[in-house]
Amino acid sequence: MLEYRSKIIATRIKIEHIDTIKDSITKAIGRALSLKNCNYADIRFGINETKYASAEDGKSKCMGEDVSISFGARVLAGEISSWGYFGQSLGEAEAGQKSIYKKLTSGIERAYTRALANAGKKAEFKHSAPSLTAVILAGIDVHKDTINAVFDKEPREVKLKGIINLCTGISLDMRNISNDVKYSLIHIQTGVNRELFCSTEGACIDQTYALTQGGVCVVAQKAKGVPESYCDYMGDIHGWEVLEGKNVYKQALSDFALLRTRETLELTEAEFLPATDEPVVVVTNPHFNALLVHEIVGHPTEADRALKLETAYAGRSWLFRSFDDNELGKQIASPLLTAYSDPAINGYGHFKYDTEGTPSKRVNLIENGILKGFMNGREYAAILGHSPNGSMRATGPYYVPLVRMTNTVFANGDKDPKEIISDVSDGYYIVNHRIPSISESRENFRISAQKVYKIEKGQITKLYRHGGITSDSKDFLMNIDAVGNDFEVFPIPNCGKGQPMQIMRVGNGGPTLRSKAKLTGHQKL
Amino acid sequence: MMIDIETLRTCVRDGVDFVKKQKDVIDVEIFASWNEHITVRLNYTSDIPCNGVHEPKSIQYNGIGLLAVFGTGKGVKVGFGSVSNNITKRGVVDAFQKAKRNRIYDPDFKSLPLPFGKVVLENYHDPAVMEIGDEAIVILGWRGLKGAITEYNKKNFNNSIIIGGDITIIKERMAIASTKGIDDFDETTILTTNITSMVEREGVKGTGWCASTHLSDFKPEDAGCDSVLSAINTIGGERISTGTYNVVFGRQPVTDLFKNIVIPALSLSSINASDSPFIGKLGQKISSELLTVYDDGTISGAVGSKKVTCEGIPTGRTDLINNGFLVGFLANNYFSRKLENIFTSFVPRNGFRYQNGGRYHNVQPKICPTNIVIEGKEEVPNEALLTKINDGVYIGRIWYTYPINGLAAGDFTSTIVADSYIVKMGKIYKPLKPNTVRLNNNILDILNNIIAVSSEKKQTIVWGGEEVVLAPEIAVEGVKLDSISGFLY
Repeated sequence: MLEYRSKIIATRIKIEHIDTIKDSITKAIGRALSLKNCNYADIRFGINETKYASAEDGKSKCMGEDVSISFGARVLAGEISSWGYFGQSLGEAEAGQKSIYKKLTSGIERAYTRALANAGKKAEFKHSAPSLTAVILAGIDVHKDTINAVFDKEPREVKLKGIINLCTGISLDMRNISNDVKYSLIHIQTGVNRELFCSTEGACIDQTYALTQGGVCVVAQKAKGVPESYCDYMGDIHGWEVLEGKNVYKQALSDFALLRTRETLELTEAEFLPATDEPVVVVTNPHFNALLVHEIVGHPTEADRALKLETAYAGRSWLFRSFDDNELGKQIASPLLTAYSDPAINGYGHFKYDTEGTPSKRVNLIENGILKGFMNGREYAAILGHSPNGSMRATGPYYVPLVRMTNTVFANGDKDPKEIISDVSDGYYIVNHRIPSISESRENFRISAQKVYKIEKGQITKLYRHGGITSDSKDFLMNIDAVGNDFEVFPIPNCGKGQPMQIMRVGNGGPTLRSKAKLTGHQKL
Repeated sequence: MMIDIETLRTCVRDGVDFVKKQKDVIDVEIFASWNEHITVRLNYTSDIPCNGVHEPKSIQYNGIGLLAVFGTGKGVKVGFGSVSNNITKRGVVDAFQKAKRNRIYDPDFKSLPLPFGKVVLENYHDPAVMEIGDEAIVILGWRGLKGAITEYNKKNFNNSIIIGGDITIIKERMAIASTKGIDDFDETTILTTNITSMVEREGVKGTGWCASTHLSDFKPEDAGCDSVLSAINTIGGERISTGTYNVVFGRQPVTDLFKNIVIPALSLSSINASDSPFIGKLGQKISSELLTVYDDGTISGAVGSKKVTCEGIPTGRTDLINNGFLVGFLANNYFSRKLENIFTSFVPRNGFRYQNGGRYHNVQPKICPTNIVIEGKEEVPNEALLTKINDGVYIGRIWYTYPINGLAAGDFTSTIVADSYIVKMGKIYKPLKPNTVRLNNNILDILNNIIAVSSEKKQTIVWGGEEVVLAPEIAVEGVKLDSISGFLY
């Protein structure tokens, strides 16, 4: 018979537990140095504490408060240095010093065995495939550092009951706006994530970040009409204050959700946007441009895509066909346009060190229309002959790090967005992103918008639904003739990449832009 | 460290005995699982320094998920709690404490799943996969690469070559027990490979894949070879102009369209959210009468098969579209019961806790397909599909397919990236240049304009997909294709 113990929850593991096991982790990484032909190893050990809740149509659906513990071990070994990796989730019951040390050393040994086997086969195949080479990691300064989470309201002190009550209250208010609201969903999570990175080079970086996110989904439908649905998020690397108005929208979650609900209702009465066969003048707002920069600038400037590692999955980059044939240093956008990736600014892509221990830095991707560089990691920087710029991230410690966007944005301009619109005699205003579909090398896109308005003689007039734009990426970028001064960074919570697919949070944004694109609409039956 | 089935079973059975005696507990369901997801990622680039097998890697996880129903003075409440890496009595107590703390009043919750039906599959996993070692997984990766590199060498292609993809191995063990009489377990092994080859200077890409439940049937080298042959066959491709074409969708595009558009729209979770083009269409004709679609988790040798769901219900066949008529939806226990008074009661054969490529203890069951089977009323050989469309396009691989205006609108878009040809007078005429065509259509149009379905089918998986589609090739009239990327190709 089981023994009932009521104190278990109260004594559960917290992120502070890492303080007590740091020595075990550094000792385990030291063990890797004793393995024959082990050229490099690192461990990422993380503890995540999260509270979450969701409600639909005013009814509670779930709530919880949990801690997850996991680690990943990455090893380079063998005569022709090759990768091996092992990741594992751990339980609270095995978080003691001895147990952790045993788990970590076992994980390193598994990764090492794989790396050695991989190196052996690489050597065997090299005669028929000469480009097979030893992995070289570009050099970085080795750091020991501790980064603390920044928040006004500690996520762990928020009452779970308060979170579920907020979800049910908001989703009920959304539903009560109109009988035409057919579905409302609110989901919230808030927590802290601490991750320790240790390497055989001597790095020991201890970073903690908070994360708070609120999600809204609404479906509205007129009688016998086509349903109109919309989902959107607010969130940041901060505490509960994010949902109280300290966010890009400067709105509390409740106001944000009700606004999105009213907009969705308004759209059920709008006409479908007619598609065009030729490009028209389009003004795209900062929220729409968050997804646009993500898809047509962020992804193709990831060095692993440029080096073809994502050919079978997320695709290549039209910006880098080969070392001899690429767009580096060439004009790929209007001289008015600059784009960069910057982990130092606020947003989901904020951090001080990436998952390889490289200090984060702003990466200038496009300067005045000229392609300047790629986001990279140490291995890819070495291949390209560039400096590592700290863009390796992983969804959790047990996943392999990949090149990821940080806060990747179009730079601010100097034009008042009202002027950008008022200068248009005949065009369309594309408001808030919805769903993207991008070509394999990011050379063409179709992205739908929440709303599209007609612009006539400088005035915003008629509202359309189910609209969006499509264009070849270079055409759109080259045709930009106005850049606004209303720069914002939005949370993108669900960027998929890698195999197995990792879903990553990134920050994306920019100011209002004006360019040309074809309109897309509803494929009427 | 692997955890055996007996440990999982003992944990959930003893756990139910314990929890049902606790104060206020009306019912309890305990799920325990152990999973390992192994990926050997391939990356060979003839003109860029590379690793061949870029990284052999794995993720292991195990734990307990516990759903308890509490009777309180204020009515019935439900709570879910989970613990990781602690398949013990202590783990059950921890999970129960969390469930108790997390309990909520959800008026849509009706009951835990009740036992239903009989299991079809027994002992269908491969012990050799369960025991596969670290060196053996690396060798599988290199076998896939060898198949591709050898074929390129045979055909005298030495540069501008890309070979990418992966070998994926999934090992799953689970057990479930409840106070409603559920008491079962399952053990599954899955091997898949998807290999993409390119001759980049020619702008061509080819795909090869295979899937198996047993190591002895798994031939990654064949997938590597197929991908190369498909790439080479499409050298010299031409563009087409924007217009409406008759089309044959190959197996990968059929799978992609079903995975991203059709199957999500046929899930009760989408009906619950009022976000499906099929709302209000049950019993009505929604596609060509040539089309029949069902989900079947009992097909021997198919990698989507399971003995029982993650709710402990034996898998079986769920008819979705029968000769063009909408006859059913995929369901789990929660949505089946919530919506049974609005529709009919759908058997909850698709309640799974898939996450990270396994059956994850930390989430409650979602609605997930198993093996999606697509059949035609009068199936024809593959070659006859080309005759049916006469002039048009054979589409072999599409990419980034999304319901661009929301699922309910039915609009979707994607681009043609590989393995495709222009068809003239019922025969392959010339390759189609990859990355130069975007599809812009409505899924209801596609389903209604089907003119033929092939008799030959193959297990097909696409990136990020949980389901396996036993995919035929399908001929469709009047598909809108837009010419794109003129600045590049």
